[in-house]
Amino acid sequence: VNYNELTRHYFETAANAGELVGAGIFRGAAGNLSQGTWVQFDLQVNAGAVSEAKFLAFACPHVIAVSAWLVEQAVGRPVLPRLPESVQVLRERFAVPVEKMGRLLIIEDAWLAAVHPAVDYRG
Amino acid sequence: MNPARMPVYLDHAATTPLDARVAARMAEVLSSPMEYGNAASASHGYGDIAAALVESARAQVAATVGAAAPEIVFTSGATEANNLAIFGVAHYYCERGRHIVTARTEHKAVLDPCRELERRGWQVTYLIPDRDGLLDPGQIAGALRPDTVLVSLMQVNNEIGVVQNIAAVGAICARHGGAWLHVDAAQSVGKCPVHFPSLGADLMSLSSHKVYGPKGVGALVISQRGDAGRGRVQLTPLQFGGGQERALRAGTLATHQLVGMGLAFELASKISSVETARVAQLQQQLWRGLASIGGVLRNGSATRSVPHLLNVSFEGVEGESLLAAIRPHVAVSTGSACTSAMAESSYVLRALGRSDRLSESSLRFGLGRGTTEEDIDIAVATLTREVRRLRKVAGAVPVT
Repeated sequence: VNYNELTRHYFETAANAGELVGAGIFRGAAGNLSQGTWVQFDLQVNAGAVSEAKFLAFACPHVIAVSAWLVEQAVGRPVLPRLPESVQVLRERFAVPVEKMGRLLIIEDAWLAAVHPAVDYRG
Repeated sequence: MNPARMPVYLDHAATTPLDARVAARMAEVLSSPMEYGNAASASHGYGDIAAALVESARAQVAATVGAAAPEIVFTSGATEANNLAIFGVAHYYCERGRHIVTARTEHKAVLDPCRELERRGWQVTYLIPDRDGLLDPGQIAGALRPDTVLVSLMQVNNEIGVVQNIAAVGAICARHGGAWLHVDAAQSVGKCPVHFPSLGADLMSLSSHKVYGPKGVGALVISQRGDAGRGRVQLTPLQFGGGQERALRAGTLATHQLVGMGLAFELASKISSVETARVAQLQQQLWRGLASIGGVLRNGSATRSVPHLLNVSFEGVEGESLLAAIRPHVAVSTGSACTSAMAESSYVLRALGRSDRLSESSLRFGLGRGTTEEDIDIAVATLTREVRRLRKVAGAVPVT
């Protein structure tokens, strides 16, 4: 499998990998070991915006890279009940092979599980 | 790619670099004003010279495996040799029986011909080895039927390096009286003793490029022994043309390739016990280093295996990410037959009872003549760093 430069960068650095603890943390996870892909997002929300974000991923380089990019993009922005970019745009941005579309949907499921309860949180 | 930045090569089980002495000799043949003839041209000296080169190579290969020169039939590689052995026996003896015995852990070059024969009406028994990858000879005895015509097993497994007790299987086949024994020895030469008569095999496949010889050439050893009951093993050829190689493998012989294989085999036969011990030391160094990471499982028997191969599974790490992470630094094979994003985990490791996930996060390290302690240090340091990093990224992934 070939990876584009963006994928290699975010896979190799995997910045913001980890978990958050404390008040105002919203967690969403999807996938499992038997599927070969598992992703978890932790978002800390203050006044309707993401103040800090972390991820964990047992997954291929594409999924790790997309997850790392998503949490980086989220910080400082309002919580929205959707991905910052559509799955299709993410697929093109990271040159994800079409046969891995299902893995991007796992990312989307995990992301939505985290952001949906956070949207109305004003803590 | 800048050669100075090439990763450490630890994939000698996939292929080996061409020995410089072999390359030089092949270049001589290719550029010689006298050695370019067709070995089948009996009408002039050019053909005689080429034929002499071919026969010299045949003698070198035969001597390396303890066979007689006339028992060597040159092919394009071990895959073709396996195909010739399996289809050749199956078709020649189809009136006697249509049952074949092999193992689930064989190379695709054996399994795929067997699958094709199943589609054509033959029956195949696929033996399952124990958790160490070893077959009990009793399993073979139990699988033989009156209509069994062939047992096909590898001597050294290409993924996990375990060495099967072929001599015991040979004795069982001889007692059976109707089942010929084919041995895929592509991974054996230069790594463990290979003495064709002692194995009791009737057919044996050999590869050149696993032994620091050129790619695109191999051989099938066809026993000229035989017994009063069943005579010598016979094959139906797969390829027809000019009658070369005793009409079993038609086609103009590639003189320079055969010369290269012959010399490579001769050099392999001279490998000292010191070199074997050196590789064994490197394997131990590698295993100790990887095991110290924690959560690392060795695949295959540690005692009945060649020192040139080490296959390990890394717990808590996704396979594709592991390979991508180490790829710039270390060249190894994944334990899985991963050719696309839709990875198929290793059928060999699954046959040993490993889960799909562990099979996918397995690596095969192939050590060779050029491998150094520094190479092993680089591999261990790379794996230690990347496995820890990926485990941190994965966290405590739920099992279900």
